[in-house]
Amino acid sequence: MENNLSEYRKERGYSQQALADELGVSRQTIISLEKGRYDPSLPLAFKLAALFACQIEDLFIPEQD
Amino acid sequence: MKTKASPKTRWGISRFGGSSATLIGASLGIGLVFSVGAGLLFARLNASEQFTLVAVVMTACLLPVLSAACWALLVDRDSVKGATKNPEISVESQWYDKAAIGVFQDLLIICGLGAALFSFVQVSVSLGLTLAGIVLVAMVDFALRYLIIKKAQG
Repeated sequence: MENNLSEYRKERGYSQQALADELGVSRQTIISLEKGRYDPSLPLAFKLAALFACQIEDLFIPEQD
Repeated sequence: MKTKASPKTRWGISRFGGSSATLIGASLGIGLVFSVGAGLLFARLNASEQFTLVAVVMTACLLPVLSAACWALLVDRDSVKGATKNPEISVESQWYDKAAIGVFQDLLIICGLGAALFSFVQVSVSLGLTLAGIVLVAMVDFALRYLIIKKAQG
């Protein structure tokens, strides 16, 4: 799934490790998310949206059929 | 009100309090008690000769495993340096699930084919060794699958 996580993270001045620490996940999780290799669980998507004060749809772009 | 963050150490502290040294000591102590008990029981049931040697070898084999198991049961995860707060939503959790599903399917195939084969060919083997072999296969299979998934998706 494509996403704008990298842009949001850099905009807010977070490093990958800082964002991982903030969410309580591993840095690898952030790397995989940004590469689009990991579709987050709903709780993680909500945590990200809450942290960046946006909608989940602003962060993640579902694949079109 | 902010609560004081608990100190994080390499080995963590017990969920019942104390220091890392206390936790390691308790883990080794409890592990030793269970290892000696299991070693003596094994020797009593299986070794009429060389009772002491068998008991000591069995105790030595079990001590690291049981001590590690005690540590895992006693440790407060939040006090271990580097431990993530929410591992269940980390990508490693998904890799673990995928690898475990693969191992389950492999074991079904291996055990199913094995059961079919050995219904034709009668072989007498120790049930304990057979189960240990299956566990070993499952662990190696899991490690390989996890590494492959990590390389592909990491």
